[in-house]
Amino acid sequence: MTEEHSYWYLASYPKSGNTWCRVFITELMRLAGDNPGEELNLNQDIETGAIASSRLWLDDQLGINSCDLSFSELDPLRGGAGASAWLFAEGERFHKVHDAFKSPDSHGRPVVSTTGCSGVVYILRHPEDVAVSLSHFYSWPLDRCVASLLDPNAALVQGERFGGRQVRQYMGRWDQHVSSWCDQNQLPVLIMRYEDMLAKGLETFTKLAIFLGLPNDENLILQALENTSIDRLKKLEDDVGGFAEKPAKCERFFRSGRTGEGAERLTLDQRIRLAKGLSDAMTRFDYGEDVDA
Amino acid sequence: MIKPHRYCALGAEISSDLVLPELQASDSACDALVQIQQGDHGQWPSLEPSPHSTPTLRLAPQDWRLELEGIGWFRATGGERLEWQRWDDSVSDRDIRTFAVTSGLGALAIQRGALVLHGTALERDGEAILLLGHPVAGKSTLAWCLLQDGWRLLSSELVAVSPDGLVLPGMHQLKLWHDAAVALELNWSQLPPVRKGLKRYALLAQDLDCMSQPTPLRLIYALNRAKADSGQEDDAEAEDESEKISLKASDDFSQTTALMRLRNQAFHARMYRGMDAEAQLFMQAAALARTVPMHALIVPDEIKAMAESLKKVDLMQPESMQQRTEATAEDASND
Repeated sequence: MTEEHSYWYLASYPKSGNTWCRVFITELMRLAGDNPGEELNLNQDIETGAIASSRLWLDDQLGINSCDLSFSELDPLRGGAGASAWLFAEGERFHKVHDAFKSPDSHGRPVVSTTGCSGVVYILRHPEDVAVSLSHFYSWPLDRCVASLLDPNAALVQGERFGGRQVRQYMGRWDQHVSSWCDQNQLPVLIMRYEDMLAKGLETFTKLAIFLGLPNDENLILQALENTSIDRLKKLEDDVGGFAEKPAKCERFFRSGRTGEGAERLTLDQRIRLAKGLSDAMTRFDYGEDVDA
Repeated sequence: MIKPHRYCALGAEISSDLVLPELQASDSACDALVQIQQGDHGQWPSLEPSPHSTPTLRLAPQDWRLELEGIGWFRATGGERLEWQRWDDSVSDRDIRTFAVTSGLGALAIQRGALVLHGTALERDGEAILLLGHPVAGKSTLAWCLLQDGWRLLSSELVAVSPDGLVLPGMHQLKLWHDAAVALELNWSQLPPVRKGLKRYALLAQDLDCMSQPTPLRLIYALNRAKADSGQEDDAEAEDESEKISLKASDDFSQTTALMRLRNQAFHARMYRGMDAEAQLFMQAAALARTVPMHALIVPDEIKAMAESLKKVDLMQPESMQQRTEATAEDASND
């Protein structure tokens, strides 16, 4: 596999900062390019790479109509799909993944191709804040979001009764998701906390740029960060009349971006459930503070 | 020895050791051009695979191989022979034929030099329309609605078009998802699933009006599904509520746009490339784009709305539908 064909995964539980990370990468590459004149266009420029669960992509790789297979039949095949130099469309090198690294149906294999993959950036965010963000994104009550974070069978399923443009993405419990990516040893991994992306932007994104082999000049990183701040992204979302990845009922994709909303919005009971259910992973990543059981 | 079953599909007489209810039975006395029979993948000669191959799909000129873990091995060669082998005894004939009559026969047709597209074709009054679109674009649902309105099915999922512009009868089967079957008020509990465990049902030829003769292609529609609760497909007309409940057709695509769309909708472009047939695809798609008009067809996402809106238009007359702007038509060509 040549350097030209190398690719990366940007993996995360949904609503953990994956899109911000992709926008940052796009902006950093734009600024470092020959013609950085025009402003970033969210809907046109963010196509850094196909989502690994895309049905069209899988159909192409497998040579069949994937609708003719069940999700449990697809999971063991998905990791083998695309293990070649022709993995993704030309120029697309950073691929969003919300799946856990393995699924209960994948026969112990990763659900994404690892052949030729240079590594994975795993982005995680305080599960309390994830719950609030999920609630806005899917228009779900907070309690449902908390239950979903604790559900060992949680998955993104567009539908097994109507097809859908993506296949099932098994996530499992939030801590299982985190561990599946952070503790696997098949791909080099850079772990980034959303909270550090916000509070220690230069340091965190410089590590990201170095890990991905992208330009890491301090001024470029700072400029890219400024251009992709939440306020700028909100303005850019307004400029394009709605970000394409936003569900219809969701008012806006880029909403608040701040940390600590979960602690404000969740009930004590909901916070305790998360803290108890996810304690090991939350402690490991410094999310274990001051919820009284 | 059991006498093989005979069928005619995608322009070829077929002899098969599998019962294939998706295909039109044939009583032709002439020799079959295509043989479908059980094989032993361990005996298949080694292959110098094209770089377009994947772990599932091994490709070389005139040689196509599919290995589907848990289901079986398939090999199409020389446009004449399709071999299959079960993964193990738990694999049913239905499992095998699901992939044999779609990807397998499609690969054979490409090897024989046909233009094979992802689409569904229907006939009325001796003329055919072709609905182009990837899986889950809504082709089968739309086709089922049209069949209730006097159209006949020529082929679903994949469509072969001859060099003289005839749509060749192919897959006489529609696959409908559970939600579509419910919305169309079908008695889904009586329908066989496409494969065991899938919430997707097969409507076979015996339950459908099918066309058995090659039919001149009059119009091509590139399907675009409007989202019921979002303005994303709607662009400038996002405010127009009728957008969500009515079919719309664009003006003719330019030939260049039509050609790109046909290439994008080739039945597995990777197979064409891997079997060294991309030049063939380009020439045939260009010829078709020159001779048959193509329009975007914006289809309501909501199935009942789709069925209702069809009653108000004539798909043989694109002008009978509300027109889309040229800009949107070009967008619709963008996969």
